Parts: sequence; C-alpha cells; structure tokens
Amino acid sequence: MTGQGTTELTVQENAEELRRTVTRLFGRSLHIRTLDTGSCASCEQEIRLLAAPHYDLHRLGFFFTPAPRHADLLMVTGPMVRAFENAARKTYDAIPDPKIVVATGACALGGVYQPDPFTHGGVGETLPVDVWIPGCPPSPLALLQGLLVAVGRLADKVKDLDFTLNGTPQ
Amino acid sequence: MPLWTLRGLRRGVVTTRYPARPDASAQLLPTPPAFRPEVLTPDLADRLVAVCPSRALARDGDMLVFYVGACTACGRCRAEAPEAAGASGEFELATTAREHLIKRIPLAGRPT
Repeated sequence: MTGQGTTELTVQENAEELRRTVTRLFGRSLHIRTLDTGSCASCEQEIRLLAAPHYDLHRLGFFFTPAPRHADLLMVTGPMVRAFENAARKTYDAIPDPKIVVATGACALGGVYQPDPFTHGGVGETLPVDVWIPGCPPSPLALLQGLLVAVGRLADKVKDLDFTLNGTPQ
Repeated sequence: MPLWTLRGLRRGVVTTRYPARPDASAQLLPTPPAFRPEVLTPDLADRLVAVCPSRALARDGDMLVFYVGACTACGRCRAEAPEAAGASGEFELATTAREHLIKRIPLAGRPT
C-alpha cells in the first residue's frame, strides 16, 4: 500500500510539474494555426465559430494566427490527403518549439476514410498528435474543451467514461 | 443588429460561461451513442457494426469495440436498436491519448 501511495504521489507530482510547465510556456496566451488537410469544411465552420461572440475564445487567451511562425498550436482537420502531406510537414516544421498538435474531427482521428492511395485516413501517422478531439464536426464547445485540455486547464474526461447505459431505455 | 444580439444584451450576457459553468446548448448537441451491455447480444452487435457508416464499431469476440474518435454521431445504431443504444450526452471528448477513445463494451451471452 505504501509503495502504491508513493507511486501515485510521483504521478501526481509529475502531472503537476507538467501543468506548471505548460502554463509557464503558453501562459494565458496561445496562438492557433489551423490546417485543412482535405476536410469537408464543417470543422472549419465550427472552428470559425469559436471567435464568434457566443464562444469568444479570446477571453480564454486563445488567438488565431495565419502565420505558422507565430503559432503555438497546430489544429489539423481532415484525413491528411497525400497531396497535402508535404505542406503539412512544412507547416509543422515552421512552428517554433514547443508546439502542440491537435487532431480535430472524425476524419483526422481516422474514422471516416481508410488509408488508400489518395489519403492517409488520419493525421496520426504524419504528425505527432498531442490532443485528439472527436466529433463530426466537433462543436465549438468540444473544441474549446479540447484546447483547454491541450494547455492542461481542463482534465481529460473521456478516459473515465465507459459508454454504457444503465437503467431503462429513454 | 441581429435579433440574438439584442436578446443577449437584454439578458446581460451574450457569451457562454463555459468552462466555468455548463452551457445549456450542450444538451442539444448530437453525441456519440452509449450501449446497454445487458441487451447487446452478439447478433445485435453484428447488426450495429454493419450499420455503422464510419467504422467506429467493431466486434472482437465477446466484446463490442467502440472507437469514439471515428463516431460521427449519425444515430444509425440508435435507430437500428433503440433498446440497446442511446445518446451518451457527452461532448467533452478531447483526450491526450488515442487509446482513451477506444472503449470495449461486453456483450450479453456467449458469441455465436
């Protein structure tokens, strides 16, 4: 029991250290570069809504930037069509370290398209993804949660869900 | 000025309080399904796997493997078997590890 307690404490300490690091590095200001690798533009529509008054992501310290050099976070949508692979790598390389890659939407997570000669069927094998945001498209609230998970300001909630229902059918 | 802006001004606040407080509109969002293991027979699971357009569901022996990341919340599994699948109501699905999105749901009875 004692050993287990020590391990848990270490994990907690590590998590706390990571949180401090992320907060120090990205503080309360983080710039987002979006990258469309062949999405249907629904994800872009939802991402665009983040800047609308109802969601207003600027209040949380997130900003969009068109320049990869100014970005801290790369938000990738679409199934990574092979024609775009080179551009995606260049965009990733152009972002200064430290950087976060967020895969956004079911296509980017490998759901809708299978790997074939035209597409990788997901961004995971091309770029090192740090945060995965499911949804088709993910709603602005889901994107907001994803961004806050990316900077460590919200907890990863889905790992504790088991997607089973109990009780009577609704 | 759009009508909803006036409405927001009248109520005082336009912007959502999320994440400090839950957003009421979250209840209206389409969400991935959740399953009832006690009524999910292997045959029913195979039907759900066949009906899923984005290959979010797969059968692995006596388990239904649900990759939440691939789910488009289209609702076809819920339409196919309302007794076994319902809305999960979860939209906060972002994760730092892809494995967290793979859920294994035990099936009722033995596999056929």
